Amino acid sequence: MIHMQKESILMVDDNPTNLQVLFQTLEGVGCRMLVAKDGQTALTIAEKKLPDLILLDIMMPGMDGYEVCRRLKSQSLTQNIPVIFLSALSETEDKVKGLDIGAVDYITKPFQPEEVIARVNTHLTIHRLKSEVETQKDQLEHELKTVSDLQCDLLPEKLPDIDGLELAVYYETSRYAGGDYYDFSEMPDNCLGILLADAEGHSAPAAVRMAMTRALFSAYPSVPSDPADVLTYLNRHLCKVVEPSFITALYMVYDAHQQLLQMANAGHPPPLIYRASDGAVTTWPMRGLFPMGIDLYDHVPVSEKKLEKGDRLLLYTDGVTERFNPLREMYGEQRLIKQFAAGSAGNTKDILDGIIYDVEKFADGQSADDDQVLLVVIVK
Amino acid sequence: MEITHKEESGILLVAIKGRLDGLTVPIAERSINEILERGGDRLLFDFSELEYLSSGGLRVILSAAKEIKRREGQVFLCAMQGYVKEIFEVSGFTSIIPIKDTVESGIAELQ
Repeated sequence: MIHMQKESILMVDDNPTNLQVLFQTLEGVGCRMLVAKDGQTALTIAEKKLPDLILLDIMMPGMDGYEVCRRLKSQSLTQNIPVIFLSALSETEDKVKGLDIGAVDYITKPFQPEEVIARVNTHLTIHRLKSEVETQKDQLEHELKTVSDLQCDLLPEKLPDIDGLELAVYYETSRYAGGDYYDFSEMPDNCLGILLADAEGHSAPAAVRMAMTRALFSAYPSVPSDPADVLTYLNRHLCKVVEPSFITALYMVYDAHQQLLQMANAGHPPPLIYRASDGAVTTWPMRGLFPMGIDLYDHVPVSEKKLEKGDRLLLYTDGVTERFNPLREMYGEQRLIKQFAAGSAGNTKDILDGIIYDVEKFADGQSADDDQVLLVVIVK
Repeated sequence: MEITHKEESGILLVAIKGRLDGLTVPIAERSINEILERGGDRLLFDFSELEYLSSGGLRVILSAAKEIKRREGQVFLCAMQGYVKEIFEVSGFTSIIPIKDTVESGIAELQ
């Protein structure tokens, strides 16, 4: 461990003889010694020099030690400096009072030099370790924030402009970085590819898998017009790198001329479809294909549906349906279907806002455990 | 979440009860790894009292199944209920890890 600067101890006592004794006692500890003879001076020095430890007498003329400690603890600058009371007051209630207002220890006078040295060393060590942990925590949070920012850069900058389609997306990560990913591919003849994927897990590992999926999709060697081929290709490459984790994914191709939608689904929650003809919302289940990254696919089934004007689609990741409320109840697919059906009269933005409002109202302040993506498509 | 396990004529029987979620996945992962480290190539998960599992929970089950396959053994997921069954079906995991309706039928097949 490298100490850039010598640690310092502030000693506060109105009696010069006591200060002298304390000074001699702690000479061998190897710290820089600071001295204050009254409470006000102690506060000024503490703010200016930010010592690593304060040894504080209680009974002093003017401001007493309790008040000094209270003020130190009320300032963000000085509140983390450990305070040890050194006092002739030896009643239990005096000690409890001192510890209650934030001191880390209490030594009664007259003291044994060895005891003071041992306690000072202990608290200096605790203080040092605590600062190190906090610095590392800050660094880690900063790194996660950086990963999260990079990840948002990997998402499409804008929504595709396809004749006859209106789109809107909601994307929210939990704990900074996450594994959810969506992307589009605008193809010739007014065809659009929509990819929605969810890398298992959270934080940096999930973000790396998400970034790999993105890189692979953008490197797809031809026009991504065949859903089975796209998932087979992504899976083949992901199998080499994501073990033991996995990525669920949906890939859809919409042909705006024919109003035909094709979909392949690798273990992802099925999309919801609202039919303008009867106003009903159903799921579009396609079972059987496991997520990407586990094993090679023998066969990727593709399902297709003809869409009509006014039909709507909702694609989502399980972070939405698996939102919990404080009672540990889950939002679930049924609530999502109900809300999608209820809000289906508006435009894509209204529909999204309605769902987000409903999910947040349900969660009742309980924060999200997982990333959440909602993608709404309306056929115009 | 609670994990109990026993060995019956060479078959590892692991029962997971309660919720396998973000909070309990790391604990479950450690316990299951410890159980598997002691050896064995016939594994049976009893999910009759498993109420919920997250995608992290799926990963733990998948890792265990893969380990057993590496040992050229056999694994069954037994007696899954309601929501858990739904999760396994939607995620397509039932096509890579065989499931059984009851623990008894799983044991019978492994014997």
